[in-house]
Amino acid sequence: MKPMVLISTQFITLKEIKVENTDLIEDAWGFNSEFCDVIDLLRQIEPIPEQCLTTSLIKKIRKIV
Amino acid sequence: MNKLISDYELITRFIKGEEACFEKLIHRHKNKVFAYISLYIRDLALAEDIFQDTFLKVIQSVKAGKYSDNGKFISWVMRIAHNLIIDHFRRIKQMNTISNDNYESDLFNSKSFAEDNVEDDMIKRQIQKDIRNMISHLPDDQREVVILRHYAGLSFKEIADITDVSINTALGRMRYALINMRRIMVEKNISLTLN
Repeated sequence: MKPMVLISTQFITLKEIKVENTDLIEDAWGFNSEFCDVIDLLRQIEPIPEQCLTTSLIKKIRKIV
Repeated sequence: MNKLISDYELITRFIKGEEACFEKLIHRHKNKVFAYISLYIRDLALAEDIFQDTFLKVIQSVKAGKYSDNGKFISWVMRIAHNLIIDHFRRIKQMNTISNDNYESDLFNSKSFAEDNVEDDMIKRQIQKDIRNMISHLPDDQREVVILRHYAGLSFKEIADITDVSINTALGRMRYALINMRRIMVEKNISLTLN
């Protein structure tokens, strides 16, 4: 019989777990794995404001400031 | 190395007189703010008005010293946008009118469109229209959580703060939203490729 350490998953330290861009609460609920099909669809749209809208906003702000 | 200046530092410098710093903040966050408002409101003209009002309100509040860096700047901006949207719906309710959301695909100014050929462009537009419809079919509270999480990039803690509910409620709404959207995907045969 092999010793346990040779067949078990290697432990990693807390520092090695990368969580910078992860919402741990969301991760705990498992949305990304359970609903990956829906989430992939949601990623297909990225509404952005028209350039003229931003320009007009900046003009308004310059007047105020 | 080009170090990214923090939002708080930009605000501080803006208060001290560097006007361009606020413009940097707008350019940094405009897409998230616009995505939230436009997906929630669905009427393009109105969404654009609220988008501008949000940043004007932000600048007034910053100048009045009402902003303190006790969290993420974007989260605070989203709360202002959220309040303006709520105000809008309250006004509509008072006027007793029903808003017909005749919002269509005009808002699809996605960056990627310019790079595609006509056929790809049409397919993408159809898929995106389907996704928008799918989102618009959600109840308001579920739609808001989806938009704030996936398009504004807020954490569930921040979403809970903005919408004045517990984190568990926000998570529950997201779960129901995802279940509902999957059901709509199946019913309407929506997928990443057109059938």
